[in-house]
Amino acid sequence: MTITRRSLALVGALLAGFASMPPGAAAAQELKIGLAAEPSSADPHFHNLTPNNQVARHIFETLISQDEFQRLGVGLAQSWKIIDDLTWEFALRPGVKFHDGSSFTADDVIFSFNRVPNVPKSPAPKTSFVRGKTLEKVNDLTLRIKTATPYPLMLNDLANIEIMSAKAAANATTEDLNAGKGTVGTGPYQFVEFVPGDRFALKRNDSHWAGKPIWERVTFRFIKSDPTRVAALLSGDVDMIENVPSADVARLRTDNRVAVTSALSNRLIYLHMDRLRDDSPFAKAKDGSAIRNPFNDLKVRQALSMALNRQAIVDRIMEGEAVVASQLLPDIYEGTSRNLKPVPYNVDGARKLLAEAGLPNGFSLTIHGPNGRYPNDTKVIEAVAQMFTRVGIETRVETLPPAVFFSRASTGGPNRTPEFSMILAGWSAGTGEVSGSLGPLLGTFDAQAGIGSANRGRYSNPKVDELLRKALSTVNDSDRAKLLAEGTEVAINDVGLIPIYYNKNTWAARRGLKVLGRTDEYTLAMSVTR
Amino acid sequence: MSDATLPNRAEAPKGAETPRKTKGEFARFVERFLEDRVAVFGLGLISIIVLLALFAPLIAPQNPYDLARVDIMDSRQPPGAKALEGFTLWLGSDGVGRDLWSGILYGLRISLVVGLASGMIAACLGLCVGLIAAYFGGRIENVIMRIVDLQLSLPSVLVALILVALLGKGVDKIILALVVVQWAYYARTVRGSALVERRKEYVEAARSLGLSHTRTMLRHILPNCLAPVIVIATVQTAHAISLEATLSFLGVGLPQTEPSLGVLISNGFQYMLSGKYWISFFPGVALLLTIVAINLVGDRLRDVLNPRLEK
Repeated sequence: MTITRRSLALVGALLAGFASMPPGAAAAQELKIGLAAEPSSADPHFHNLTPNNQVARHIFETLISQDEFQRLGVGLAQSWKIIDDLTWEFALRPGVKFHDGSSFTADDVIFSFNRVPNVPKSPAPKTSFVRGKTLEKVNDLTLRIKTATPYPLMLNDLANIEIMSAKAAANATTEDLNAGKGTVGTGPYQFVEFVPGDRFALKRNDSHWAGKPIWERVTFRFIKSDPTRVAALLSGDVDMIENVPSADVARLRTDNRVAVTSALSNRLIYLHMDRLRDDSPFAKAKDGSAIRNPFNDLKVRQALSMALNRQAIVDRIMEGEAVVASQLLPDIYEGTSRNLKPVPYNVDGARKLLAEAGLPNGFSLTIHGPNGRYPNDTKVIEAVAQMFTRVGIETRVETLPPAVFFSRASTGGPNRTPEFSMILAGWSAGTGEVSGSLGPLLGTFDAQAGIGSANRGRYSNPKVDELLRKALSTVNDSDRAKLLAEGTEVAINDVGLIPIYYNKNTWAARRGLKVLGRTDEYTLAMSVTR
Repeated sequence: MSDATLPNRAEAPKGAETPRKTKGEFARFVERFLEDRVAVFGLGLISIIVLLALFAPLIAPQNPYDLARVDIMDSRQPPGAKALEGFTLWLGSDGVGRDLWSGILYGLRISLVVGLASGMIAACLGLCVGLIAAYFGGRIENVIMRIVDLQLSLPSVLVALILVALLGKGVDKIILALVVVQWAYYARTVRGSALVERRKEYVEAARSLGLSHTRTMLRHILPNCLAPVIVIATVQTAHAISLEATLSFLGVGLPQTEPSLGVLISNGFQYMLSGKYWISFFPGVALLLTIVAINLVGDRLRDVLNPRLEK
């Protein structure tokens, strides 16, 4: 079977593109990149976190690659075929060498898959990507992967497992890998050093199978503070930065020393409502007395969605660096619905629905959210609170440091249930298709099966579960996409959560550099050309 | 113990030995205070700030805490622009459309309440503890003063940061945290002056008349220790206000929807490089003026109340 490829709409124009090269750039073979968040380790299997994965992508490669729109393509696997519903066969790329000179074979793949679930103290392992897969070596360059049930997301999973060298990393611990012992992959760049709190340095892999990369050295510098990162770019301290603060984008676009690139992100910012309890702890009558959980009424949920002026949030708070959302992922992705449109802003309609739901005077509500996890998160929550207040819901805002917020939002209540009544959070689909959002966010919570892992509202709809289950055992791409789109429509029309906007990722680089924006938020030296 | 350094024979200031001050002395104190133009300016500034804060709901064109009044369509307007509701945003608006002039007026209320309340509570606590330490001496003094030493050896921002992080957000919690970091200053000061006083004859006289410990401490020693406390209190109030702003700036102080000056400054911080200076600048100026004014008055009080500087 060959992978069907949709021709996708190009979203997020590339603004960089200058014919002339600045003087002195020819001599500079080093690329210095200012990152907003630093990796927690150089061990690619230690922590499934964007900053870790993006640095790991330079050193290590995966069997399946993802392009800038997260479309799947060949990687260390050159081709593949489906033998039967339960067996996939992969032909590995011949002639690939690890940084230490040894050859890449099926043994390295098997070693890596066995290593993933066994990394000690891993805060977020990649185990779910290897679960249920049995690997079988046919010969050095042929590998079969078997599953117990038909598994359509095989390639998406393989795109998340970095292949390490069975020889070099045989007994390497996470600490060894951080120090560069066994940090050996097949990627375009080699490990030089990782200095937590300061930098991650790489050098070129001259014998990379796809050809010599253009940068001799790449240094990632960790600059957490937004203004400092921008200042570092303007002063020439770094050549490029990620996560350009939205407050600075407009000004940087007019600055001819730098070029700004933005790309639509797969990250949705949304509101989740408590559907677990009959009386929700932070939703009360205006006099403070307990009321029946208002979110159990569809009319109230619709009213809340209608009360949001999404375009105003995008324009005034995000300063245009976001796109109004109608569902779980932007509709360039597989499995999204073509029928869902953003809910229009309608204050009178929202008031009317609240009245019909028996709450003509509204109620009082506290929205919880993280401060500093997503761009402008606190301000967005405040704007949402303004809009809810206008339809008669007395809204308070409480923001918490991200780590505290997420643990309380997930397990802070009695019996490790979610603590809050309404939260603002963000979710990006790591798999690059809808089941990676629909399952975790709106599937009925089931810790054993790993469904609904981010369903902090505990929304539960048998119809959605059924469609999701069917989709996940449908190997045909277009059939699966149809099922997922249908599941999304059911859940969104039932207002399982309230989508607000999709983020945009922004990068700024000094004039003369071309940056290819990515939907998965990764900042890669491979995306930067002169 | 540090009794060896006791200023036992220090020349007692004139008038300090009679616990009750006469009207003439108070008038003299006022007169001396007013001799310094800078201090008068500071006092005037404080009065204006207090009046502005007191009448904020009447002066401010917008109630910045009422989310139904704040509109994101007004966000990031420069000073002098017109708001959707028709009033003029004299100092511009912040990232969520809050009028900065209104925000500053209401923010000043929080700053002053936090500063004064925490200052007063800490002063009462510190006074009691310091007096007890000095009066009873011995082991009690030893224990109390070592706690004070310990407290003073820790940076106050750090202690307050940890406390607020543990207690959660809110004005009451900030005040509690500030009391905890401030009381030791008062205790140490009071203990110093009280040690001098308790060896004087009038205390001995009071004791030999059979007056109780409490009465001796509160009616005879305390009034003579108040001068340095008043000076410390002004300085500490200014310190408390800036500490609250620091905590709010760091994101642990007050909720976003009820901004104090620190929250307003921190909200504008991300816009500093993009040319929208006013969001941080004006709240910063308001904070600066408040603290400088209080310190000017505090400086003058120190000069006037210090017997060693008496002409």
